[in-house]
Order: sequence, then C-alpha cells, then structure tokens
Amino acid sequence: MKNFNWLALGFLAPALIVITVFFLAPVILTGIFSFTSMSTSTGVTGGEYLLNQSGLRALADKGLNQTTLDQLNNAGYVVDEQGLAVLAEKHGAATADEMRKLHENGQFSARRDMERALKDLKANKIRSTKDRKAAAELFKHSLLNERFETEAKFRTALVEGDIPTEDHEIIVTQAYTGWVWTTDNIKLLFSLPSTLRYAGNTLIYVTLTLIFNIGFGLFLAITTFYLPAKSASTFRAIWFLPRILPPVMYVLLWKWLTWDTGFIATTLSWVGVAPKNWMLDTSTHAWVVVVLINGSFGASLGMILFSSAIKAIPSSILYSSEVDGANRWQQVRYIILPHLRWPILFITSYQTLSLLTSFEHILLSTEGGPGRATEVWSLAAYHIALDNYGGNLQYGLGATFAVALVIIGIIASLFYLRFFNFNEMVAKPKIEG
Amino acid sequence: MSHNFRHWPIIVILSIVSLPLIIMFTFQIIDTFTTHPIDSMIPDKITFEQFSFLWDEAETGRANIWEVTLNTFIFATTTAVVVCTVSMTTAYALSRLNFPFRRFFLGGLIILHAFPTVTLIIAIFLILQIIGLYDTLMGVIMVKAALELPFGIWIMKGFYDNVPWEIEMAGVQDGASRFTVWWKLVLPQVQPGIFALMIFSFLSGWSEFLLPQVLAPGNDAQVLSTYMTALIADDTKIDFALFKAVGMFYALPVIAIYLIFQNKLMNIYGGGTKG
Repeated sequence: MKNFNWLALGFLAPALIVITVFFLAPVILTGIFSFTSMSTSTGVTGGEYLLNQSGLRALADKGLNQTTLDQLNNAGYVVDEQGLAVLAEKHGAATADEMRKLHENGQFSARRDMERALKDLKANKIRSTKDRKAAAELFKHSLLNERFETEAKFRTALVEGDIPTEDHEIIVTQAYTGWVWTTDNIKLLFSLPSTLRYAGNTLIYVTLTLIFNIGFGLFLAITTFYLPAKSASTFRAIWFLPRILPPVMYVLLWKWLTWDTGFIATTLSWVGVAPKNWMLDTSTHAWVVVVLINGSFGASLGMILFSSAIKAIPSSILYSSEVDGANRWQQVRYIILPHLRWPILFITSYQTLSLLTSFEHILLSTEGGPGRATEVWSLAAYHIALDNYGGNLQYGLGATFAVALVIIGIIASLFYLRFFNFNEMVAKPKIEG
Repeated sequence: MSHNFRHWPIIVILSIVSLPLIIMFTFQIIDTFTTHPIDSMIPDKITFEQFSFLWDEAETGRANIWEVTLNTFIFATTTAVVVCTVSMTTAYALSRLNFPFRRFFLGGLIILHAFPTVTLIIAIFLILQIIGLYDTLMGVIMVKAALELPFGIWIMKGFYDNVPWEIEMAGVQDGASRFTVWWKLVLPQVQPGIFALMIFSFLSGWSEFLLPQVLAPGNDAQVLSTYMTALIADDTKIDFALFKAVGMFYALPVIAIYLIFQNKLMNIYGGGTKG
C-alpha cells in the first residue's frame, strides 16, 4: 500500500499546488483584506506619512484643537533654497539673488512680515500685491503636503514644529498613507443604505432569472420532446447557441436588439413610436432585459438536463397513458413532471448558487444601470474593488462584500451536498462517459 | 412518441418564443455582409467593407487584430493543455488510488467548484501585482487554468469511474506497476474524455472575458473578448455593423468547433453539472 500512496501524492501534487496558490491563498487573503483599509491610495505593500488639507479637515472632525491645526497648517515662513529656486523661476534670478543676500535663512512668523520683506527688496521690488502674496506662499514652511518616508522622520518634524506632544499620536495616525487594520468595512456594510439595495437587487435578479430558467427550460424540454427529432434538434440548437457564443458576442446581440438605433426601436418607429433605448430607458426595462439575457442563457442548462431525464422515463408508461385516453396536458402533469422532481430540485439549487455570484452578463449589458437599478451584490463587489468611476479602488471594502458571498456560497454548497447525498456522489458519479 | 398528437401547434408556439433569438442570429449574419439605410432594417447592398478591420492598419491606440487573435489562441490552447494534463493525473488519483483523506479531497473539490470568480478575483488581482504577473498573458493563463481545474478534475473523474476495474486488475496481475497500468491501459480508455475536456476548456478560454479584463487590461495581452469590449465601449462611434463583423470573426471558431464536436461536447455540458 505504501507505494500507492507515493504515486497518489505525485499524481495529486500539481493540482494541490495550483489549488493552494489560486484558491486557498486568495480565499484566505480575501478574508484578511476585508479587515483592512486597503485601496489604490493606500497601496498594497506599505505607506508614507503625508498630511494634506483633507487630512487636516479630518483631524478637525476628530476634535483636534484649533491652535494645533493652525500650527500644522502654518508653521511660519523660512527663506530657504527650495523657495528661492522657485522664486528665481517666477520673478527672475536677480530677485532671488537679492532675496538670498538680504534674508538667507530668515524666518518670519506672520504672513505680513514675509510680504513686507518681499516688498522692501531694493532693486527688484515685487510691486503687485497679488504677486507678492503668491511669492510669500513659496516660502511657507508647513508640515502640509510634505512626504515623510518613515514614522520617525515624521515625528521629528512634529517636534521641530512645536506641535504639542499629546496630539502627536492622532496626527501620525491620520497622516499615514498605507493601509491599516480596521473593522470599518463590516460596520460600513451594515450601515450603508446601498447594501440593502444591492441585496434587494440580488434577490430580484436571482428569483426572476431562476423562475425564467426553470420554467422555460421545462417548457423547452417538454415541447421538444413531443416534436419529431429533426425540428426538436433545430429548436434545441437555437436555444443552445446563447451558451456556446462568447458572452461579449451574445450580449452585443441583445444590445443591437434594444439600442436606440437597434431593431426594436427601428421597427417600432414604422408604427410611430419614438425611438428610445429599450435597455436603459427605465429600471423596469433594464430588469426585463437583464432577466431575458441571463434567462435565455441559463434555460439551455435546464433544457438539456430535463430532456435527458424525460428520455429516461420508460416509454411504456407514456404509451399506456395514451391507450387510457390521457391528453397531452394530463401526460405532462401526471407523468413527466413527477419524474422531473429531482432534476428540477438540482437545477434550482445549482442555479441559485451560480446566479448569486454571476454578474458578467449584467456588466456587459447594463453595467448595473440605469443609476444603480440593476447593480447586484457581486457586481457591486467588482465595482468597488476593481472598477469604479472615482478611480480609488477599495480592495478592503470589496473584499468584505466578497466574503459575504463566500459565506453564503459555502453554506449553500454544504447544504446541497447534504441534500443531494454526498456519499452517493463520491461512490458513484453520475456522469456519462 | 405520441403519434396521437399534432405537432404544428407546438412548432408555432416554439417559433414565437424563439423569435427574438432567431431575429438576432439572422440579422447577425445579414448585417455583417450587407449595408442598409439608417432607418431601415432591410439591406440594400452586399459588402465586405465591415471586415476591413482584418486587413487595414489598426487605429492608433488599438492593438492589431491578428496579434490579438494570436493572444487569444495562445490563451485558450495553453489553458486547455494545462487543465487536461493536471486533471488527467489528479482525477485518476481521486477515482482509483487509495490514499488518506480521499473523501476530504472529493468534498473539497465540489466546494471549490462552487467558488465563484468574484470572491477570488480581488485577491488574485493583488497577488498577481505582487508577483509581477499583472497585465501579462502568462498571469491570466495561470489563473484561468486554475479556476477551470476543479471542473476539469470532476469531469475526468467521471470518465475514469467508467473504466472497468477488470482492465486494471488484469494489468496488475500481469506484473505491471500501477503507473504503467494508468499510462498504457487506462489512459487509452479515457481518451475521448480527455479530448472532450480539451475542446471544452479551449472554448471556455476562447470566450473568457472577465479575467483578461481585470488582470490584463493593457494592449499587449489583449484577447478578442477585451478587444471587442474596448471597441464597443468607445462611444465616439457606435457602429453595430463593425461590432457584428468583429463578433462574427470572434465567434466563428467557436461555432465551427461546436458543430464538428457537438456530440462529444454534449457529454460535458449535460454531465458536468450533475456533480
């Protein structure tokens, strides 16, 4: 037996490596990320210390007293080389040279004094008040908008700026640009009004699409069952194409059908209906199109499985029912549907799970619009973390959204493993070769 | 079945509900080869103008269509080969070899299968950035192959399960090692399965949109799906005839492969979702 185990290990090794890197690691990392404030602006690896105007406002909100705020904002004026270089650029080298001669390393605490020094230059007076104000700004020495690579450097600068020691901690926290551990994402998830909206949208999407998928899949399977082989396979092929076509291509066809220059708009304009975008006109339009796109895509799965399940019904039962005078409806109602109970249950649970997390077709068609009418949970996670209009991708918050889906997914799949008898699946897979 | 019933009412009903799809497919073909007046759907001239993107110089800022096609081909082929190779060994171990935690692995496989892309992609996006494979074809291929793997293993396991034990027993009886038995006796038995999985993964890679879109948005690693999306998203000119022609070019291999290998693929489309 020992040999067999080594062989098994060798056979399993590639899959184990791949699964560790691309399944286990991402799942664990997603869990970790959901407790961080990671985003494009914080970066992934680490951060620096930088205080800017919005940081200052945030500090004010957190109750930092006004004197300290002023000190941070306005640490006085110093005539240093950096400022002189810019001055030379703007007002000529002569002005800068004279300034250097008179006031090198000079310090002014008030703006008025700084401006006076600029006004009192003998040879190269800056006359216009506006220019002087701007020039004074060049020498402003402030902690604001200056980058510090390490915490130590930033703290030193705080000490040099005479910022009260008791305020250091809060300022350092605010100025850090990297990501930090936080549970804010979870709080945000429960407090944002949009969360409820996404959950509601997902519920609408899953329910309606599921009904369409199952209902229509059943309808197609049963109707094609009663047709001669040739016409049956034609209709099955038509309904199977959406699954075969690349999603980008498939959604393009729906766009063409519903666009304001598309098929519906053009045909209806012949009877005097003003052309409009039938996909994005109102949220009802968008929902109908989203359900139709996903429904037509998903119906084929039901169609295939139900068809093969119907074929498995012993034909003697159907023949005898006909001898007994059953009409077509009675045949469907009392013979076919009862036989399809398990396939229907299976497709329902399988599709629920995949619909909960699928958003590709919505992304390609309505992109969650109009407004956020068709933004479902998984699409929201995608938008927040990977593609949003603001440009600041919030990996942390997106990961929290994704984790919620993972939890639902695991519970659902455990439930359906139990429901569909895992032992039987392990012992005897039902896939035909 | 059921000669007592008339067919035509069913055909009429089915035709009516299938009408939107029939219209879409018909006009997809008509519009790519013809032009029509702006406010009409009826074509007035046959043309191949819409396919000029195939031979014209690419617009600035857009990748060359043939390079993109080559990328797509490499992407789909490599994915298919990796998925098949790894599934081939792993599925055999899961189906036939005895080792500890076998049940655990099988259960895990089903749960992995249920893991949706969206829950993994945020972390994968960051992992690829850290290891420097972001925006490369190589990175997307690895991710796509990995995400296809649970499905591939599950399908292959189904094929292995159907190989009679007697074949293997006879081989072992004659003194062959377990590895030789697998390589020389079992693999030929599941060849149709490997072939079907190969084609299925190729099609799946050819159609993939989300992974390239997120993990390789640049021009260098563009594939046909992202090329087409970029073309459509550029709203300075909405030209459905051009979109459809590109779409035709993109979808043609898929349809051709499907038509040729229809019966083999049905095994997977129908059977793959049973577990």
